[in-house]
Amino acid sequence: MTIGVKKVSLQRTTRDQIFLPAILEGLLTTARHFFKNTMTKGMGDVDTIRYGEPGVDPKSYYPERFRGVHRLMFRDDGSVRCVACMCCSTVCPARCIYIVAEDREDNNEKGPATFVIDELKCVVCGLCVEACPCDAIRMDTRTHMTPTEAREDAVLRKVDLMSRGGPSVAVQGGLGADYRADAPAADPRFVGR
Amino acid sequence: MTSSDPPVPSRPRSATIILPPEPPPPPAAARSAAPTTVKPPENRAAPAPAAPNLSAAPRPGDATVKLTIDGETVEVRKGTNVLEAAKLVGRDICHFCYHPGLSIAASCRQCLVEVEKNPKLQPSCQQVVGEGMVVHTESPAVLEARRALLEFTLKNHPIDCPICDKAGECTLQRHYMDHDHQLTRVDVPKIRKPKHKDIGREIILDAERCILCSRCIRFCEEIPGTGELTMTFRGDHEKLDIADGHRLDNAYSINVVDICPVGALTAKDFRFAVRAWELKATPTTCQGCATGCAIELHHKHEAAHRIVPRHDADVNGHWMCDEGRYTYKELDADARIRHARVDGQDVPLGHAIATVARRLRGRAKKVAAVFSGTATNEANRALADLAALLGAERFVVGRVPGKTDELLRDADKNANLRGAIAASGAAKHEGELGLELAGRAYEAVIFLDGTFELSDVVRSALGAITSVCLSDRVTPLAQACSIVLPATSWAETLGSVINRQGRLRVLQPAWRPEGDRRERADLIRDIALAMGERDLGTNRERARAVAEEFDNEELLALTASPVAARPTLLRFSHTRG
Ligand code: SF4
Ligand code: SF4
Ligand code: SF4
Ligand code: SF4
Ligand code: FES
Repeated sequence: MTIGVKKVSLQRTTRDQIFLPAILEGLLTTARHFFKNTMTKGMGDVDTIRYGEPGVDPKSYYPERFRGVHRLMFRDDGSVRCVACMCCSTVCPARCIYIVAEDREDNNEKGPATFVIDELKCVVCGLCVEACPCDAIRMDTRTHMTPTEAREDAVLRKVDLMSRGGPSVAVQGGLGADYRADAPAADPRFVGR
Repeated sequence: MTSSDPPVPSRPRSATIILPPEPPPPPAAARSAAPTTVKPPENRAAPAPAAPNLSAAPRPGDATVKLTIDGETVEVRKGTNVLEAAKLVGRDICHFCYHPGLSIAASCRQCLVEVEKNPKLQPSCQQVVGEGMVVHTESPAVLEARRALLEFTLKNHPIDCPICDKAGECTLQRHYMDHDHQLTRVDVPKIRKPKHKDIGREIILDAERCILCSRCIRFCEEIPGTGELTMTFRGDHEKLDIADGHRLDNAYSINVVDICPVGALTAKDFRFAVRAWELKATPTTCQGCATGCAIELHHKHEAAHRIVPRHDADVNGHWMCDEGRYTYKELDADARIRHARVDGQDVPLGHAIATVARRLRGRAKKVAAVFSGTATNEANRALADLAALLGAERFVVGRVPGKTDELLRDADKNANLRGAIAASGAAKHEGELGLELAGRAYEAVIFLDGTFELSDVVRSALGAITSVCLSDRVTPLAQACSIVLPATSWAETLGSVINRQGRLRVLQPAWRPEGDRRERADLIRDIALAMGERDLGTNRERARAVAEEFDNEELLALTASPVAARPTLLRFSHTRG
């Protein structure tokens, strides 16, 4: 099968330049959907769930993979799973994750001294969760970011993110408090001094 | 050429350099008794650490051989190896243990290639080129060997890239993505070895990540000649370690971090500081001493995070000293001077310049112009022009001498003492400056940089006269002077310095200066203009003139375009090590 090629002219016509027809077209589309979804029998093709309607738990309507507000997961000893690899802050298209790494001075070596997410900048894309190699950051809270009165309040710190956290059962990054705890110890004959 | 030809001879292990005892810096009294005029130091063409395996490109007069690599015939220098020859036809044969600055060990076998008429694959790093040789670097047997060897190397590798400082610039990561890219088939536990072991002043060893290439061992033996590192145990349990009772404490130790192809050796200073892929790299020159090693400054958001050496065969080879790595600390954002200060008040730059011009005016005034070995040629030349306008007395100052050895470090810790002396003409010594200032011989003094050892007498003398200091950071001198003009640091300056060999070394700006900071030559030009004198020329014009004078291609290219060169984002550059 040959694929047809449609050449689109990048030249702006007078019709494009006066903008008015395009605006009217847009309004028309909005109006069409408005009447279709509110006036027609059976309410068109959308279900409108009224948030907070008595007897309805809005969360029960949320799809499985709904991306809610972030949380940080724990190791078995309650410390944060994050190893400050910066994968999430690197992949984040909104550049809204700020991490400062520190030496944990235990066998996990590296962890975040600071972990901050600016939820106002976040575009809720979920890429940070995909990027995380340690199952440390998740968006499975099924809660929206609550509105705040001050901007600073929407900037979540490590404690805020960990307050929603829980233990993770992921194998990546290790199970126990020490990610190498499950690994056999070094053979003492070959360790040397 | 057949397989019976001898391999490339390894560099003899006799390159031990005996470090002379450090001469203590001369006491201040001795320095002030120095001769009245400062003589330019002799050209000390200390040899760069010799690189045993020169590049394959033939230079005029070299004997050459012709060989065919992947169907392309190429003429290379006789005696070079196939790996270097392949670079000339754009083939980057993947390798771990070969380093152009070290002897050849051929221990990793990652660089195997097929040489026709040869029954087995040959390590291209050790295979000397021969006339009429036919090499295949991408044949099925080679690709299979590469993949299999990588799998073997990864057998005991911990793959803790998330907490590994090398991730993003790791040769093992790159080769895995390019040549292996398969799931693990290992179902036995990996061999455990010591992690995060403190082995020296600067270095932390992770023996699990080590791929046993022995580059670091060869470096310690061949370059500083101290030989602290060694392999212990055999087979699966082979691991890198330090000799019992010793520590990796030589003056060049951080180079092992650069040459380590993986994250087995990491620098304490850079540990967990920032990820390699977040950094930008600007090629420039180390300001730590008169050697002027070629370096890359790695920075993020106008803050420097580390310095790594750049290859320059004539000056520093592949290496640099540990002291030089720490010179980025003086770029610390907290100590930066961002605004002009007059008599203790922050003022707009234009106001400060007008004040300087007003206070310096008057031909009868006795003015001292203090050139600096820590400023660029352009700045020193601009001050020379201003001194001529003012009829000022000239002095040259710099940092106090420090540690030296026969490799790279120079006792003269000023990057540009030669340039400063040349620009100032016959100038007086800093000892005399102290004496004369203390004796209130001048009504005004203008310092080109903030580095000068102050005595209390001089400090009080500076408070009493018009003292102008062009400084990029808060120093005792800057605090003692009545007027401080915010100058650019070496990381924001376009310019040049002259090293101990008399070579022109180029400084490239890494980021745009913050606040009111300006190039020193531009500040001096503004002072002259405010005094109603002629236009002395901008920093860029001066840099252009210096570039033409020395016929320096690098500086010519930098000054050719009015836009500053952009630093490279390390994410898109090649891996290091
Ligand atoms: S959801 Fe997307 S935008 Fe929000 S923090 Fe994660 S990566 Fe960034
Ligand atoms: S990707 Fe995961 S482990 Fe890495 S910094 Fe983000 S949350 Fe931490
Ligand atoms: S050395 Fe390379 S492959 Fe190994 S853990 Fe570090 S980044 Fe990953
Ligand atoms: S520590 Fe690095 S340089 Fe040294 S042998 Fe191991 S992999 Fe090679
Ligand atoms: S690079 Fe040739 S054997 Fe290691």
